[in-house]
Amino acid sequence: MRGEAISSIRDSATVQAWVSGLREQWGEEPADMRARIAILQRFCAFVEREPDAIIEECSRDVDGGKRIRIKKRRFYSEKIDEFQASVEGDARAQARTGNIVRSFLIHNGIFMQGGVGGQ
Amino acid sequence: MEFKEVVGRRRSIRFFEPDKPVEREKVQVILETARLASCAVNAHWLRAIVVERDKIPPDKLNQLKTPVAALTLDLAPIHIYFFCDLGVVKRIKGSRLRELVDAGALAPTHGWSHKFVDEFVYPQILEPMTNNLQGYLAAAMADCGGAAQNALLAAFDEGLGACLNTPNPVLTKQVFGVPDDWVSLWVMLVGYPAESWEAGGQRPRPPFEELYYEGDINTPFRRDAGVVEKLKAAGMITRPAPLPERRQEIMQLAERLNLPT
Repeated sequence: MRGEAISSIRDSATVQAWVSGLREQWGEEPADMRARIAILQRFCAFVEREPDAIIEECSRDVDGGKRIRIKKRRFYSEKIDEFQASVEGDARAQARTGNIVRSFLIHNGIFMQGGVGGQ
Repeated sequence: MEFKEVVGRRRSIRFFEPDKPVEREKVQVILETARLASCAVNAHWLRAIVVERDKIPPDKLNQLKTPVAALTLDLAPIHIYFFCDLGVVKRIKGSRLRELVDAGALAPTHGWSHKFVDEFVYPQILEPMTNNLQGYLAAAMADCGGAAQNALLAAFDEGLGACLNTPNPVLTKQVFGVPDDWVSLWVMLVGYPAESWEAGGQRPRPPFEELYYEGDINTPFRRDAGVVEKLKAAGMITRPAPLPERRQEIMQLAERLNLPT
């Protein structure tokens, strides 16, 4: 993973929102944030989308706020399952990878759950 | 457990020990407690279908998942689906009200008689009430709410955790093949809590005086600080959320159950 690619997605609005959501929720930025962003970057390559585009696709503006696009949310939920299945490691490690991408969506307001153990 | 402590310990539990089964007798206690709830005209609208997560076919379990409750359905070993049986009043035609007269619960001292039930209450009030769906539904569901609350408290009294969720009503009816006049209400998820009993602390509530009044709506019911202290001592009013250790607890649960943060 090239350093400049990481920097470029870190600057995107949705990655900023993710980092700031994690900071707000847990009191500090996770020590492994750079590694998490690298995983998100790999997922973005996997679905051939930029982070901002993923979030934009999953929601739409309506009067008084935003609405989640159910089909797109399901699409990305399935893509995360596929993505985590494609990475090396046991089921737990794979789920942890998928959960990092889920966390990106969650902190951008896209409701998402994994199964037990992230399956 | 004392009643006040049960009330004080009840809160929506969302982290369950997924692999720790719930004893069948405890499930029965929950249902028995629901059955003894206060109920208008003794009709008993509440119905329940108990599902063991590991025994329901996976395709059906997946159908029952909503986006918000998918994870908790996976975590909780027992799912109790509550329904409101709207057909019950027309089926029993006031017979259970007559039982209350027989039992001496409704007595002539208060104006009750079999004749009053048979000739007035059922034909003039209950039967017409069932034809006004809006009013009838509200009344029947209020009763179901009371029974479900009894069930919820019983779960905590048995040392379990529980949480009420709203399932998809159409899919729920379809999966269980219930009669047309049953309305899907809630699913109560039950299991042993994976989180501490405090689960982050007693949830925030609106101020007491904002909810309750005395005599008219301009006079808030005066809250006696001495009573509050007694309830704290009895374990009914407990440490309020957010608790300082909650963040750490969620982190540990996420790590153990492999959940996103």
